Amino acid sequence: MKNNNPKIILAFFSILVGMLIASQIKLQVDLIVPVTIKSFEDTQNEINLINSEIIELNGIIKQKEEELQILENILVDDRNIEDILLEDLKYNMTISGRTTLEGPGIQIVMYDNMDTVIEGFDLNDYIIHDVDILNVINDLKIAGAEAISINDQRVISASEIKCGGPIIRINDRSIATPFVIKAIGDPKLLMASVNAPGTYGDTLRSVFAIGFEPEAKDKVVIPAYIGGFSYKYANSVEEGD
Amino acid sequence: MFFALIGILIGAVIGFLLPYTYNSAYSLYVSVAILACLDSVFGGIRANLEDNFSIEIFLSGFFGNSILAAFLAYIGDQLGVPLYYAAIITFGGRIFDNFAAIRRIWLRKRKSNK
Repeated sequence: MKNNNPKIILAFFSILVGMLIASQIKLQVDLIVPVTIKSFEDTQNEINLINSEIIELNGIIKQKEEELQILENILVDDRNIEDILLEDLKYNMTISGRTTLEGPGIQIVMYDNMDTVIEGFDLNDYIIHDVDILNVINDLKIAGAEAISINDQRVISASEIKCGGPIIRINDRSIATPFVIKAIGDPKLLMASVNAPGTYGDTLRSVFAIGFEPEAKDKVVIPAYIGGFSYKYANSVEEGD
Repeated sequence: MFFALIGILIGAVIGFLLPYTYNSAYSLYVSVAILACLDSVFGGIRANLEDNFSIEIFLSGFFGNSILAAFLAYIGDQLGVPLYYAAIITFGGRIFDNFAAIRRIWLRKRKSNK
């Protein structure tokens, strides 16, 4: 009996261990992996990303709430609605180019090559083309110009710049040299965008000897667009909020 | 040796059949405790083969080691240091030690029986 005793005890506790193992297997736990610095950092990055996303979304919520607040205020006292609509109208007119704008900016005067002696073969190299104007305007837009005019013709989203022989047509009007391009924006940036070595404007001046005189100004006045808008084919799509 | 294996098998069957489970949050502690229990059982088998089996030593080892192992794992969790490695390495190594001893005794017995 004494010889048998340990075996019975061992068998009994083995059963206990077996039961524990079985219950552990039943739980189907994921493999426990040690936390490495890399996985820790990965998780931290993920959390940071999600947090910044939350902040962004909160900002959007705040913005929408403010809009809602404005609309609710209209409901409370109705003398406000006119102001808000007028403000809206003003904003929309500004972005569509219907208002005269002023501010710091630059003025560029461009004229054809004035040399009386013709060097080279092609006369076309000596005059300003529509493409030259287009490239200069594009440079100005890249530099953050907020409003642009050419010979007091406002450049809007629908403005065309077209070659018309000795003249250039813009907004269905003909303009001729000298071209005066005005732009509102950061004068330093705008100057750099057309005046720095290697830019299109600098190339016009130094290679083709075309008159190109940019000048930074404290105050530039850009007239409003006076033409009409016509939408014959385009229909606006209602956007559900 | 074989009665322990059979016991573990029977226990596993019972464990699968019984509906009781515990919270999976404790699975780490239980798994370390299982390791300690297994080590105790192996130690018991070895002692039995060496004819110096003592119920007191076996029982205190079985429960004491498993509780200590689970406690170490818990403390490690609280401190943020994986202390359960200590239990895994110690008991894992000891299981192999015990098994090596069991093997030797068993093989010697077979040889002397021949």
